[in-house]
Amino acid sequence: MKKINRSNDALNGITRRRFIQYGSLAAATSIVAACAPTATTPTTTTGATSSASPAAGGAKGIKVGVMYSTTGTIAIVEKSLQDATFLAIDQINEGTGPWAGKKGIDGQMIEKVVVNPDSNWDLYNQMSKRLIDEDKVVCVLGCYTSASRKSVLPVFEEKDSLLYYPVYYEGNECSSNVIYTGAAPNQQITDSIPFCIKTFGKKGFFIGSDYIYPKESNRIAKAELVNGGGEVVGDEYAALGTTEFITIINKIKQAKPNFILSNLVGDSIPAFYKQLKDAGITSKDIPIMAFPTTEEEIQAMGPEFAEGHYSSFNYFQSVDTPENKAFVEQFKAKFGKERVTNGVMEAAYIQTFFMAQAMEKVAKEKKALNTSSLREATRGQVFKAPQGTVKVDPDNYHSYLYSRIGKWKADGQAEIVFATKAAVKPIPWSQALYKGRTCVHKTPDDRSNSNVETKKDLPVEFLKET
Amino acid sequence: MNVLPINALSSLIHLAQATPAAKSFDPIAITNQLLNGVGIIGILLLTGLGLSITFGVMRIINLAHGEFIMLGAYTSFVLQSNFKMDLLLTIPFSFLFTAFIGAIVERTIVRRLYGRAVETLLATWGLSIVIQGVVKLIFTAQLKYVKAPPYTRGNWTPFQIGGQAIEISYYRLFIIFMALLLLGITAFLLYRTKLGREVRAVTQNRDMAKCLGINTSLVDMLTFAYGCGLAGVAGTVISSLKSVAPPMGQDYLVDAWMTVVTGGVDKLVGVLAGAVLIGESNAAIAYLINDPTARVIVLAAVIVLIRYRPEGLFTVQKRS
Repeated sequence: MKKINRSNDALNGITRRRFIQYGSLAAATSIVAACAPTATTPTTTTGATSSASPAAGGAKGIKVGVMYSTTGTIAIVEKSLQDATFLAIDQINEGTGPWAGKKGIDGQMIEKVVVNPDSNWDLYNQMSKRLIDEDKVVCVLGCYTSASRKSVLPVFEEKDSLLYYPVYYEGNECSSNVIYTGAAPNQQITDSIPFCIKTFGKKGFFIGSDYIYPKESNRIAKAELVNGGGEVVGDEYAALGTTEFITIINKIKQAKPNFILSNLVGDSIPAFYKQLKDAGITSKDIPIMAFPTTEEEIQAMGPEFAEGHYSSFNYFQSVDTPENKAFVEQFKAKFGKERVTNGVMEAAYIQTFFMAQAMEKVAKEKKALNTSSLREATRGQVFKAPQGTVKVDPDNYHSYLYSRIGKWKADGQAEIVFATKAAVKPIPWSQALYKGRTCVHKTPDDRSNSNVETKKDLPVEFLKET
Repeated sequence: MNVLPINALSSLIHLAQATPAAKSFDPIAITNQLLNGVGIIGILLLTGLGLSITFGVMRIINLAHGEFIMLGAYTSFVLQSNFKMDLLLTIPFSFLFTAFIGAIVERTIVRRLYGRAVETLLATWGLSIVIQGVVKLIFTAQLKYVKAPPYTRGNWTPFQIGGQAIEISYYRLFIIFMALLLLGITAFLLYRTKLGREVRAVTQNRDMAKCLGINTSLVDMLTFAYGCGLAGVAGTVISSLKSVAPPMGQDYLVDAWMTVVTGGVDKLVGVLAGAVLIGESNAAIAYLINDPTARVIVLAAVIVLIRYRPEGLFTVQKRS
């Protein structure tokens, strides 16, 4: 009783003025904390002052929105996406790297407008409105989680603007206002499940973080496993940000699978790999096949814990192409020797060049730079990326990408044990769940239902080098 | 913050989907799971202990507790990456460093707000954001890696039947040992030393204690610093189970609060009781259904419990 009285006293004791004082103090500190990291990066000041329509391509430069969280839970990943994007924009403006011999877009500089949505899905929505309406950017590079993409999608469709989205995702979406440069299900999941059945065995244990992407991705992977004659012996999810895995590991011990398929994200990844090895399960006993585990997470957990496990991705730092060698070198020169590159960062890097090449094409054709001309020019763009030659599919605005499987080595790099011979044509819909369904935009700005039901097995198509 | 309701919702959907709960009731797996519960208890106890000092003894609602855990983890990271120190050797340093920061915080912020619970809550919440921001500026948002000492690798296996074994990892055993050790030291300090007597005197009647010549402001500072130091030790010990990152403390804040509030704050043994209760029920429910649902059920149970026993389970009824 005593305690309750006391807290009531405390509540009554607050005068309105004092409440405002401390309330604003708390609000101010959170604002300072949210702004601080972005202040260190070159941010262009924005506001109502830029009344000259930059979309029309004035002398000032081309405004492009960069929307990644540099604070909050997702900052761990999105900060490196921002780094890769900044590297690409600097190379375009300075005429270095893949842009050697040119300068900017036909002489015009790319001017980045940087916002930080603080890992808050609602803020992504508000900030994309601000970028389009107030800053009048031509397009936006950004988002990482599917939740944030779903949050901004209505904005880009309603205002008819263009989002470049660099992340492997669960598919089942096909907007004509998004250019998807990460893997569709058939470029990551479809090849890895048969590989698991062949290499490890038929019994798979599925784990993931508890939100849209891991659940959908596992749903597709489970269907693929069953189609391939395998068996699902477990399906467990952990709340986002969970770092306690002993219960799930106990269930794995009991189920005795041949392999674990992991769709854990963020700091759950290092925690799971570490605790699995601590519990006495090595990669020889039960290997993990993972989608979101990249070089960055391996570095964060210590490579010894990942050694012998597998990841499926379009790109690994160890991919052997001259473009990749240059990319890794340039990235390390800009951000530090100890940094690593990974698949999502590479996608963020190449989508910036897709955008720049498209802008260049618009400028050459002497058209006004706006959403429809940029979209038209982005379709079918080809780029010699670090992972190999890739292309924006003119039908569904996803990208032709390589599909690879890497086995992690003691030095934190992947030995590539499977790779397609060329980039694979993207199919946004999982064929295991929706047989024969794909997506073709009938017109560049297609607002009708763009799904095509062929009812047949779609053949695997590779990008033909021209 | 906004992730929480989504989690809660999807967990409820889990429940509704009626997951295939009862697998074969394997006695070995169940015993293992109960042992796993012991592992969870160790972490809860370790993270809750510091809070039982700052909240239980001093009645300060410290929402920056998680950030002190994070600071302890970063201290170990810095010492390990620069001086190649063994993780266990960094424990005293993270204790001293976080206690030092705690002392500064007490002098500059908490001291001015004694007896004003809501203001303390707001101020420490703001502080937690500032500490996270500063750490992010210094170390960037990337996940950092802390190495566990090699001699804590592997499992302790009390016995084996057939191909199955009952086992618990040495590191988990180390955590529970560490937690009990700290609990013992804290109890000794609090109940067997002059300083501890002074601390309790100040808590029970500040004015009277002052009249008797106790330097209350020094006692306050030391007590708060000690609570923060314990959080730092927790951070160091936990860091090698996961990775080190600025928001890592947030995960432990809620758990630590649940532990302290469930057990009751008047007696130190309440933290142990709270940790055992929450740890084992979490482990059991997580085994029977799944992890996110277990969290929802346990949290709901704690709320109901506080409604009917606001002073916690293990508190002696007092006349007021």
